Amino acid sequence: MTTATATLAPKAFKSELKPIWCPGCGDFGVVQALYRALSAIGRPAHEIAFISGIGCSSRIPGYTTAYGFNSVHGRALPIAQGLKMARPELLVLAAGGDGDGFSIGGGHLPHAVRRNQNITYIVMDNQIYGLTKGQLSPTSPKGLKTVTSVDGSLENPVNPLMYVLTYGAPFVAQGTPADLPGLVEIIEAAIRYPGFAFVNVQSPCVTFGEPEQQIKTQKATMESLEGMGHDPGNLIEALDLSRAYGTTLHTGLFYRSPEPPPTFDSLVHERQQRMMADALPRERILEQFIQR
Amino acid sequence: MSRSLVIGMAGSGGDGIVSAGESLIGACASEGYYAIMTKSFGSQIRGGESSCRVRLAVDPVLNSGGALDVAVVLSWDDFLKFGAELPVSGRAMVVYDTRTGVAADDLPLVGVTPAEVFPVPISDLAREAAGTDRAKNTVILGLLAGWLGIGQEATLRGVRKKFAKKGAELIEANERAFHAGVAYAEAHPTAESRKMDPATGSGAKLLTDGNDMCAAAAIFAGCKFYGGYPITPSTEVMQFLSREIWKYGGVLLQAEDEIAGIGAALGASFGGKKAMTATSGPGLSLKSEVLGLATIAELPLVVVDVQRGGPSTGMPTKSEQADLFQAVFSAHGDVVRPVLAPTTVGDTFTTTVEAFNIAEQYQTPVILLSDQEIAQRKEVLDPIDTSEIQLIDRTLPTDAELENYQRFQLTPSGVSPISHPGMEGGNYLGAGIEHDEHGAPTASGRVHAVMNEKRIKKLGPLHKRDDLFRIEGNENAPLALVSWGSSAGVCREAVQLAADRGLDVKLLVPYLLYPVNEDIYRRFFASVVGGLVVEQSHLGQLYRILRMYIDVPGGVVSFCRSGANPFRPKEIVAELRDLALGLQRTLGESRQPQE
Ligand SMILES: Cc1ncc(C[n+]2csc(CCOP(=O)(O)OP(=O)(O)O)c2C)c(N)n1
Ligand code: SF4
Repeated sequence: MTTATATLAPKAFKSELKPIWCPGCGDFGVVQALYRALSAIGRPAHEIAFISGIGCSSRIPGYTTAYGFNSVHGRALPIAQGLKMARPELLVLAAGGDGDGFSIGGGHLPHAVRRNQNITYIVMDNQIYGLTKGQLSPTSPKGLKTVTSVDGSLENPVNPLMYVLTYGAPFVAQGTPADLPGLVEIIEAAIRYPGFAFVNVQSPCVTFGEPEQQIKTQKATMESLEGMGHDPGNLIEALDLSRAYGTTLHTGLFYRSPEPPPTFDSLVHERQQRMMADALPRERILEQFIQR
Repeated sequence: MSRSLVIGMAGSGGDGIVSAGESLIGACASEGYYAIMTKSFGSQIRGGESSCRVRLAVDPVLNSGGALDVAVVLSWDDFLKFGAELPVSGRAMVVYDTRTGVAADDLPLVGVTPAEVFPVPISDLAREAAGTDRAKNTVILGLLAGWLGIGQEATLRGVRKKFAKKGAELIEANERAFHAGVAYAEAHPTAESRKMDPATGSGAKLLTDGNDMCAAAAIFAGCKFYGGYPITPSTEVMQFLSREIWKYGGVLLQAEDEIAGIGAALGASFGGKKAMTATSGPGLSLKSEVLGLATIAELPLVVVDVQRGGPSTGMPTKSEQADLFQAVFSAHGDVVRPVLAPTTVGDTFTTTVEAFNIAEQYQTPVILLSDQEIAQRKEVLDPIDTSEIQLIDRTLPTDAELENYQRFQLTPSGVSPISHPGMEGGNYLGAGIEHDEHGAPTASGRVHAVMNEKRIKKLGPLHKRDDLFRIEGNENAPLALVSWGSSAGVCREAVQLAADRGLDVKLLVPYLLYPVNEDIYRRFFASVVGGLVVEQSHLGQLYRILRMYIDVPGGVVSFCRSGANPFRPKEIVAELRDLALGLQRTLGESRQPQE
């Protein structure tokens, strides 16, 4: 059950699998930040379940000692939700790439948000398809030339921050491995938030990404929301700031609902408690079909 | 006196025909009769024409029967639209509302003259007795109770129950309408007695449909999670569970689509809970990819496909058995996936429980192929003794096995103990990526081959599960029927009928369609010279799958047709008779002396 010990060092969450990522890939920073955040949280690895889709980024559960599920492309959220519904006592994390989360799996995101389970969803947004070697992603800037948009893309990118805010997510943040301590803080705050928490990480792809998206540029240009004096309890301001996605790299908390709404799982629990009282025992379920 | 009667009724949407059928079958059940009721609607969402068939009998009923013995017509236009679903036999009595303006000697029926015709002022009786036309269906119940001798008290009880919430006035009005029907029937007796033999069975009966039965079986089996998306004709599974599953500590999710439904169910299974999703053909297509994931991640999961006419939207409210290929073959990669099919509302219970047991025991997705006919028909059956039914739970690792846990350990059976999040020491990486015994991703061809072998080998014992087949008839019979799903219920009656007509026939019904138990078919076919594989699809999908695995005797042919109208026992017997005569002729010719 839920036990918190402060004695778990970050390396307790590092598995023996050697990452397949290219040297310098931003995802290394994300997994490092995660080790530290989990260490600060203090739940033992076997009480943590980490669900991902498919992509370079989706390999991340395997590099932790938690229970992991590297599932299929785009379906991390449904699987994570079902797991959390079945076992609400677990700490459930979901992760994947921008293609995984906003393209093939994009239809699941609003629904995950509106169910408001206590799940942290980390997207490693590199604005490109890494695993399949450099195709256009839903967050690629308009006009980007890739192997599948040889003359430049014709469509606008999605704005994940704005989407998720308007879907009604109670916790929305953005980070980058270029600010590792900041990223650790964000992930920890997301996990501690009692509801659906979305963390967009601008995690550069060194192999197929654009030069201006690399760590060096990020370090030079990123702007801390806290430093700007943004109040994360202000949804309207958060929405306004989110419009800069794709032009300015804001880091930190966009929005954290000051009054966390009840989670799906707490409502389920209440309902189960209320209804279990007048149930026929499972073995006698057929009695309700008796015609007298 | 009759041991069995088929009643068919049709009217327009507001006439309450289906509700009359429901009251009737409820009364039959409480009087101790067996019965099956099917309903059918025109394509409008509301209004339009509607019809129902009720087959009631002294003995257990296996299918919805053949031509009507009693036809009740509120509107001839509506009745005729149901064509083949409501065929009138020459021995039938036809009861119709005089309001239709049709003369008794000029019925719009082609090629049959029913034995008896009763033009009844149904609307007028309703208005006189209840002050409204809307009580027509209650008048019909009175007529049927009077003519057929089904318990009046029981029928009235049903009527009262139906109006219980609507106040004393309506109850009384309907009681008067009912009695008006009874009085009319008594004043106009039928020429030959149409009364039912008294019911012989004692004790309470169950009354339900296949979808509710499937859902109840899931609860019985310990299902704790349902994720799904509404689709006809499977939705009642979700509707039942939405009422019940919470009471058993479970959760139901109406997901945003079928992919999320099965994904969430798989997540729950990864969490160690028994999980299910239900859908129909188009939904199963959407679920295919996650089914592949369940196979390689070796996670138990029950996926119900209530088949309807396809492809695509096809005929969503009609039955067909054309998803077998999809169930068996829709996997990517080398996959063997167990496929089960119930044949009646009653055996939907045991078959669903079996699906959970197989899923848990072998850590595999299992597809339960139900069909609209059994899923949505109401059936009266004897209570099911559940005390002997074993439930199987997945094998968890022992403490010793958790010491150096290997989730996908190669064991002699191919089944590896499975942990779930929360178990200390059981941490592993589940994956759709090929993996080694620890769960570590691999691109090794050797490991892939070994793991494919493991995942297929572990299902080996299923090939020996003779208990998942039903065989009826004389073991050495030269003629045979093989059938599955709702068509099997028709064949079971056909075997009886055929025997009455001197045909020596036996029947094999597989509840486990895949993997194919080759031995049982071989043994069954050993004595067989000719036979039919009966299924409701254009291609005859089981027949073709059998031919992949077994030397089906040349005289055994596919008897199949596209869905919508179920087979009738008599047409199967007729087909068998033709087949037998054909075989005799060939035999005769081959015995001609050679010149
Ligand atoms: C159903 C399906 N379609 C396509 C693919 C191929 N595929 C794998 S990952 C991927 C996109 C990867 O991009 P992203 O999700 O952004 O993750 P990244 O690799 O950049 O971390 C694609 C198209 C697949 N595995 N499954
Ligand atoms: S391709 Fe890009 S995203 Fe994938 S591992 Fe390499 S750097 Fe990272």
